[in-house]
Amino acid sequence: MAKSPPRSEQGPLHQLETIADLFETPPLARIYAHVLQHGAVTVSDLVEALDVPQGTAYDYVQKLETAALIEKVSDQRPYEYDAEPLSLTLSTDGETRTVTPALIAAVARRDDDDDVDVFVDRHGLDGLATALDYAFEYVDGSVNHRITARELDISPLEAEIILQALEPVAETYDTSE
Amino acid sequence: MTTIYVADTGVFVRCGGPDNEKFRRLRRALQQADASLRIPQRVYEELGGDPAAEAYPSGNIPYPDGFEEGWIVVADELDYTNALVSTVMDDTRRFVANETGRDEDRIEKADTALVGLAAQLLDTGEADSVVLLTTDKPAGKAAETILGDHGFAGQIGYRYASEEYLETITAAEFQVDDS
Repeated sequence: MAKSPPRSEQGPLHQLETIADLFETPPLARIYAHVLQHGAVTVSDLVEALDVPQGTAYDYVQKLETAALIEKVSDQRPYEYDAEPLSLTLSTDGETRTVTPALIAAVARRDDDDDVDVFVDRHGLDGLATALDYAFEYVDGSVNHRITARELDISPLEAEIILQALEPVAETYDTSE
Repeated sequence: MTTIYVADTGVFVRCGGPDNEKFRRLRRALQQADASLRIPQRVYEELGGDPAAEAYPSGNIPYPDGFEEGWIVVADELDYTNALVSTVMDDTRRFVANETGRDEDRIEKADTALVGLAAQLLDTGEADSVVLLTTDKPAGKAAETILGDHGFAGQIGYRYASEEYLETITAAEFQVDDS
């Protein structure tokens, strides 16, 4: 008989729900992005690094752990948590979008960079995901704000603002190096 | 030896934001060096061309103060009848298209204004050397390569206007006159 142990108690659809929460809750995305980048970390590490209230940090860590987006990697207190990079591809009517750690990190930046927040208000999460693709090219030197503006149908000024705002994310998650 | 500093839109976006700390630092550096930044007409249009950008903290850039105080100057119109300017801008279009994997007709001639201005300043002898401050890496690279090919190697340079560059900039960056 085939054995297929679930990755978590709750299963993949619950994980999808939590990923949707990440998009809507930048502080949750920040915690997840931090664990991804700096794991293994304790809740105290998160509180210190991200300047979030301890109660919030505990709640969010538990939420991420329940959805199996992060896992406990130590047996003793204080527990340490780590995460496997996620890659989730969604397809709707001819459009495909992959949810990557970089995209989660871009969403997380809404919390500490108002430029990113304004951009998402104006162009949505799909707009942010597209801008992030351009930010990777911008860091590589294979696009500039003028071409970006034309291809995204925004002004050169707005293009430069969002490219600069996403530059740190693109630098951190650059896979070409 | 007269050096002219040409700045792109990205420099001012990098200096935007609520406290404008980098903007003040840039002003101090230029004023102490008794230098100014030249901006192409194209950059002037980009900076003022989108009222919607005011919704962004980084869209709030007090660059008009720089005009009043004299450390930002809008450059003369590009002289397309100048053969070098025209050739360099065409070459730059091709270079940028190649560098970015785009068709050449997707790159507008106005996109190459920064490099065109550098060519004009060098060709007319107004500058002995030109330094471009930009976040447009393809254009920066084009300037060094193409103007180098036209006999201006060593007289053209580009600085990537990174966060760190503008956070640490001082008057020492601007050596206007070595004579």
